[in-house]
Amino acid sequence: MTSAPSTAASALTPEASRALGEALGDGAAVAALRASGVAALATAAMPSPALDRPWKYVDPAALTLDGFAPPAAADAVAIGGPEAEGLTVATFAEAGGDAPARLGEAVPFDGDRLSALHYAFLAGGVLVEAKANAEIAEPVRLTREFTGAGSLATPHTLVVAGPNSRLSLIEEYRSTDDPLAVLPAIELLVGPGAVVRYTSLHRWGARTRVFAAQRAVTERDADVRSLSVVTSGRLVKSHITSSLEGRGSSSELYGLAVGGGDEHADFYTVQDHVGEDTRSDLLIKSALGERSRAVYYGLTKVGLGARRADANQENRNLLLSRTAKADSDPVLEILTNDVTRVSHGATAGPVDEEELFYIQSRGLTLEGAVGLLVRGFLSEPLDRFGHDEAVREELSALVEAKLQLLGAGG
Amino acid sequence: MTEAPLLEINALRANVAGKEILTGLNLEVRPGEVHAIMGPNGSGKSTLANTLMGNPRYEVTGGEVRFLGELLDGLAPDERARKGLFLAFQYPVAVPGVTVVNFLRQAVNAVRGEEVPVREFRQELFQKMELLKVDRDFARRYLNDGFSGGEKKRAEMLQLAMLQPRMAVLDETDSGLDIDALRTVADGVNTLMNENMGLLLITHYQRLLNYIKPQFVHVLIDGRIVRSGGPELAEELEASGYDAIEAAASTA
Repeated sequence: MTSAPSTAASALTPEASRALGEALGDGAAVAALRASGVAALATAAMPSPALDRPWKYVDPAALTLDGFAPPAAADAVAIGGPEAEGLTVATFAEAGGDAPARLGEAVPFDGDRLSALHYAFLAGGVLVEAKANAEIAEPVRLTREFTGAGSLATPHTLVVAGPNSRLSLIEEYRSTDDPLAVLPAIELLVGPGAVVRYTSLHRWGARTRVFAAQRAVTERDADVRSLSVVTSGRLVKSHITSSLEGRGSSSELYGLAVGGGDEHADFYTVQDHVGEDTRSDLLIKSALGERSRAVYYGLTKVGLGARRADANQENRNLLLSRTAKADSDPVLEILTNDVTRVSHGATAGPVDEEELFYIQSRGLTLEGAVGLLVRGFLSEPLDRFGHDEAVREELSALVEAKLQLLGAGG
Repeated sequence: MTEAPLLEINALRANVAGKEILTGLNLEVRPGEVHAIMGPNGSGKSTLANTLMGNPRYEVTGGEVRFLGELLDGLAPDERARKGLFLAFQYPVAVPGVTVVNFLRQAVNAVRGEEVPVREFRQELFQKMELLKVDRDFARRYLNDGFSGGEKKRAEMLQLAMLQPRMAVLDETDSGLDIDALRTVADGVNTLMNENMGLLLITHYQRLLNYIKPQFVHVLIDGRIVRSGGPELAEELEASGYDAIEAAASTA
């Protein structure tokens, strides 16, 4: 049982939602979803840490959003990257008419209050679309910055990759140190034979709470790879799903968090095998200093029709202080007997003594050895994602800056 | 003229997990000398290697070790390495995420106490890799991660070659090597050995000693050296086994 939310003192009202829609000049697709969100505002309940497994380790107080104000009509988003034949990058308002037609296909309104709030107050929509056979070599870049104490933000990124297209998107999130609540949605619609690379950089302010919903849906022989890099934010909770619907499609999900202070990085992942001959891999690593914590709850689902599925999930946590904490729970749900491989692994602990001795025996000080091990630990998901050199260096620098803040050697 | 010893071990006692393993071990190694310590399983071979390198899991309870005339007592492993001591591990640990080249560069800088210019470092690395018959793409792999037994031992030798220690201890370097790999590794060690350097081979079997010739052979039983001799002692061991020597030692 969850209790119905109180909207008494809330500024997140149906009237505010409608005013926002008018200000933004909603097209049909946005208007329809906004209406679903609004209709549920009065009744939809927040997820319950006590009852809903993916929410188990979230402080219930963090789920109280009623005091927040609706987003400004135009949240700042900067669009960078290539102008290329067959590529559209536009805000939902710019996309115009009925566009974006496929809004809500991967991340539909699901009836809970976070989803209702996201759609009722949707303001930061960007469509990134590659036409059939378009090969966009250079990554598209979205930089989103949020300000304004006590406000709610609802960025929405819809990626549509046409048949046999190739597209890479880097989305960078930042916010001020004011109390903010951000409910991002990321939809990755990967057409037949298409290749999508998605990277999100979570560089949130110290008092920002984030509840992100990301879902990829793959058609036949599609290939999606995603990476979340979390280097700051009070609570960054990412729900990341790949639904492998098309035969022969594949997904690789990577995540990396470096925590300090009282930060909480939380990943809930679903590798959802629907079609035959689908393949998924996952590696999420967290390095945790001070009183930070990481939570991983990951589900590999292999449906009845997903014959010859190949799935692997791996979560590793490195504790850099005695007060840091990691919870890790990989779960398998397999409904067919005909699988190629389904494997999982999870670890949490401090730096390994034998590894330290080995590295120290080559002349590195204890501090240097710890630094090397931590950096090596964190570089694996980055190496496996395979960005171009410039982006790889940017990501390393982000991680390095956080490690320096934590005083983690090197 | 006898030179001052590189390594002097006097009446060394050491515990691991509260159990005494080394029970009064004596040994001296001078520059240019190759020594072999042979012993059965459980005689203390690995404890000796780990204790020399300062593994914190091993506790010295008596005696002393001097390296280049200085007491090693209480020195951390990295301080020992920077003085010129090197241990080739029996079981090198995998370090995913850290490439061989990155690791070697940091180790070389640490041991030499200065930043070696990148070009110079690369040249030296490729030359040493050639010596040990290691492919160049080896440098970009994660250290020991997914390496075969032979690759791990070659990676150890590559580290030895790059760090140029005064004294190298090779702990069961022959284990897990096929005959070709053993020959390559031994050739590499023989090339690297010089008159200023000391070498201590720790091994169960005589096999390695066919390729790296020691001048001195010592038999380790129950945590101390019970017999010392020349290369002929290794052959005697191979022929009659540890039991005969153990029996002779206990009646002596």
